[in-house]
Order: sequence, then C-alpha cells, then structure tokens
Amino acid sequence: MTTALTVIGVGNRLRGDDAVGPLLIDALSASQADALELIDAGSDALGILEYFENRQEVIVVDACSMGRDPGCLVSFSPSQADLVLEEDPLSLHGLGLAEALRMAESLKMLPEHLKIIGIEPDSIQFNGTLSQPVQRALKIAIKTVQDEFHRVTKDSEIKS
Amino acid sequence: MSRDLNIKVHHLTRVEGHGNIVVNMKDGVLEKAHLSIVEPPRFFEAMLKGRSFHEAAIITSRICGICSLGHQLTSLVTTEDALGLEISEQTRLLRKLLVHGATLQSNILHAYFLAAPDFLGAGSVFPLIATHKDVVLRALRMKRVANDIGDIVSGRAVHPITPVPGGFTRIPEKAELLEIKRKLLEEALPDGLETVNTMKALAGAIPQFERETEYISLKHSDEYALYEGDIFSSDSGLIPIANYLDVTNEFVVNHSTSKHAKYNRNSYFVGALARWNNNNAQLGEEAHAAAAAMGLKPNCYNPYMNTIAQVVEAVHCILDSVRIIDKLIELGLKNEKPNQTPTRYGRGIGSNEVPRGILFHDYTYDNKGNIVEANCIIPTGQNLANIDDDMMKLVPEIIEKSKAEITLNLEMLVRAYDPCISCSVHMLEVDFIE
Repeated sequence: MTTALTVIGVGNRLRGDDAVGPLLIDALSASQADALELIDAGSDALGILEYFENRQEVIVVDACSMGRDPGCLVSFSPSQADLVLEEDPLSLHGLGLAEALRMAESLKMLPEHLKIIGIEPDSIQFNGTLSQPVQRALKIAIKTVQDEFHRVTKDSEIKS
Repeated sequence: MSRDLNIKVHHLTRVEGHGNIVVNMKDGVLEKAHLSIVEPPRFFEAMLKGRSFHEAAIITSRICGICSLGHQLTSLVTTEDALGLEISEQTRLLRKLLVHGATLQSNILHAYFLAAPDFLGAGSVFPLIATHKDVVLRALRMKRVANDIGDIVSGRAVHPITPVPGGFTRIPEKAELLEIKRKLLEEALPDGLETVNTMKALAGAIPQFERETEYISLKHSDEYALYEGDIFSSDSGLIPIANYLDVTNEFVVNHSTSKHAKYNRNSYFVGALARWNNNNAQLGEEAHAAAAAMGLKPNCYNPYMNTIAQVVEAVHCILDSVRIIDKLIELGLKNEKPNQTPTRYGRGIGSNEVPRGILFHDYTYDNKGNIVEANCIIPTGQNLANIDDDMMKLVPEIIEKSKAEITLNLEMLVRAYDPCISCSVHMLEVDFIE
C-alpha cells in the first residue's frame, strides 16, 4: 500500500518538552496502518527535506516558540505563519525547522499539503520530562493526526 | 591608530544555547576579543550516571542531531574499552564507513550552507537558493548519499540503531552496499569534484589571516585517522588516548560557561585543518589534487581554510568509502552477532575524530555494567581558547576596516570552526500573520 500520510516528529528526546515530536511518533507507531509513514527526524531539522519528495500529505510536529501559554497547540500551514529565520547562524546547529521549510519552499520542494502542528513548550531543559500542559497537548496532537489520517484515507484502521 | 571599538554580536534566536562575539578596544588598545558561550555542554555526566552499557550510546547519540553518529561511535569504543569487548574487522570497517558518511555530510553542509554564503557576500544561504539553485541541490544530493550510508549501515540516518557495543545488530546486504558504491561513484564523486571547482572559484574571498598554533588530532599508523588512533600534537608528537586529560587540561574562564582547553601553548586547534596539517601525507592523490586546486598547502595556519580542508576530506571520504565497501565484500559479509560479554569492568576511554575535531568519552562502569562516572570533552570546547586567540590577533590586523566589516570577519572566523554551541534544540519560532 502506498503512503497516504507522512508524519514527521522533530525534536530532541533529551530536552524536556522538545521531545513532543518524537514522542508523538512513538505513540502512533503502535498503529499498523501501512499507509501511515512515521518519521522521527530527531533534531536534524534539515533532514526533513528528504521526506518531502514525492509526498502529498505531510504533517510536521514540533515544539514551537509562539509566545503562547505552555501546551497551546496550533495547527498551521507555512504560509499562515512568519517563521523566524536565523539569517546569520554561527554554526550548522543554527539551522532548524524554519530554515529547512524556507529552503524547501525556495526549491519548490514543499509537499502539496503540509501542516505544522506546533506545541508551545514549558521547559526544554536537558534531562527534563514532558510538562503537564505538553502531555495534554500531545494527546490532542495524536487525535489531530488520527483525524487527518482518517480524512486522507477515509478509513478507520488507525488505532491509538 | 587610536580607536575605540565595541562589538557585541548577540545570537539570541535559539531559546537556549548561543555564542556571543564580544570585542572591546579602548584608545587603540584591545582589551577584549572573545567568543562568549552561554550554554554548558556539560550535561553528559548527569545523563549517563546509573545507565547500563546497552544504553550509553543511545543516550549520547541523542545529545545532538548533527553530532549524533560521532557521539554514538565514541561511546561504543569507550564502553568496549571499559568492558574488554573485542570487535571484529567487519565491525571496524562498517564503523569507518559510517564515520565517512557523517564526515561527508557535515563537511559539505558546512561548506555550502555556512561558508559559501560568506565567500559570496550573501549574508546567508537563503538568497543563494534563487541564484544558485543547482549548487544548493548538489549539496542536498551529497547529503542524501551520506544519509543513505547511515540508513543502510546503521538502520537510521539520524539516530542510528544497529551499532551496539561489540558490533552491529544487523549487517547490511551485499546488494545494499553495492548500491551505495554506485551512488558514491556516479553521484557523490562528480558532485564532490564539482564542489572543489565551486570552492576554487570562491577561494579568493577567503580572508588572508594566519596564526600558527598547536594542531591536535588523532593519528593512525595506516590511514588518515578518523576512527581510532593515538592523539597527535603538532608541537610534541604522539600521546596515548589513555592520557587525554594531560592534553585537554580544561580550565574555567569568566566569559564562557563551556570550559576551555590548552596543552603545550595557550590554546590549540582541533578539526579538519588540524587533521590536514597532521595527517595530509596519508591522503590519496585525488584529495591532494583537490587541496592543490583550492590552494590548501601542508602546514596551513589560516583558520578560515578549515572549510577548504573539510572539502578535501569530503573527496577523501567518498573515495575511501568505496575502498571500504570493496574490502567488506572481498572479506565476505558475515552475519556476526555483537560481542556483548564483558571480560572486565572499570574505566574505559575512547576517542574519534568527528567533523568538528577530536572527541573524548571516558566512562567508569561498576561490576553490574552501569556507569558510575562519565566525562565527555567535545571538540568545540577544545577550540574555544583558540578562537579567542585568533580574535586577539585578527582584530588589530583589520582595525582599519569598518565596524561592519570587522564584525563580519569575526563571524566568519567563528563559522569556520562550525561550533556546536546551540547543540540540538531546533525550536521553531513563529509569529502569526494577523
């Protein structure tokens, strides 16, 4: 079966709420749906470009600094938001999701339907755990992805 | 010239972890020129304590998305040293292939996405995407081949899963390795040689600045050292890895939360240029031809040429990966199980060359195979004192330039070292369009 929906979790599992993207991938991996492609991109954001090719429906889940309350979840397309670029990074470590999306856009590599699920973190300290608000947001994010999968595949084989 | 100059470049866009350039000159006397680091990369120890030898490499590989493979392999050799786990020739070759892939990827991305925009006066890579789309696509193609090596050999490109203490949980198929070889020869090699041409054309824009310093890297008796070897100092020669603390001599400075390091002098250089200066005689003809084309000579003391040394290494990694694949196939791929039966417990020390320079891990295990003490010394920490010493020499030499030009030269200097300062938090910052 071909992939109907690709979900990419971005973030560092060792940094508190930044783990929300990879943890969402873990939670969904219990699903046996062949049409659902799950990618844990870790914190190498430029790596997500590899998964944009030949895909129509893509969701990227990441902790985002949006100036909102911790745990706030916003679903948006790249054109709906002004992603703050690090124009002048001192190292490759400064190239993150905003830069990767901008690059994909300029290279006309963006998938036809790309949605970003941003979750406002409380803390991204090393060795931290998911905060309560982000734990709640993770549940909502899982539901959002499942609904999206149903919409795309019009079936209900995905389980939580 | 009597002049006052105050430069403060704050890189605050990362939520945590950033480096600030600070220069302070009063009446023509340079009082301060340094890179101030505001994030401690010293969280390793706490995270590793109490963890079993099966977990150590998984944790360290997740410390940083860009440096993941380097930490993982160094963690594995450290654990194997501590527990007395011997590895096979096949494991050693597969690891070297992984190191080549990671080095190729990091060096190429650094050269194209960070250094080239400076050489073109573009400010960043983004304006170049429109004007030099083919070049950006070339960089991404090379990244992809490097990723393919990671996928095939380690199970996953970003946080590898099959390399474990004592070996691999899965051995790649011959057909998979041959497919990588095909991509290396048909795609990566022509792209690598084109990269040399691109960098050759830009080489005129590399600042002419020299400061001879101490160059420290691994050295291997048989090959250009990236995986395994002894420590080598351009000042004092070989030192066993077990004595790494005699080399790093970490010390605390006020302007940085990351410790600095020094050995025979006030500071030393680690990374591609140090490897080139110490070990270029072990590179092949093609790598030497690439170096000559781009104007890189042995005993190069210009830190900005680190980027050029990275491109030379990229050519080496492409060709040497082909050699390793041929050797693996010649030896016949064996479906070996990892050797995970400890023959001792205690302290182990491991070191590899990762793209940014020499990396040390040092663990002590109790007799249950759990870590009781850990120490990791990353390349960027070792380079910080050297960057500061470069700045102290550079600023007076370019003091006639405008403040903007001086700032750019200093930023380019820091970028040449590609420091791992905001290691791994890729928080997307978003302003919504109202």
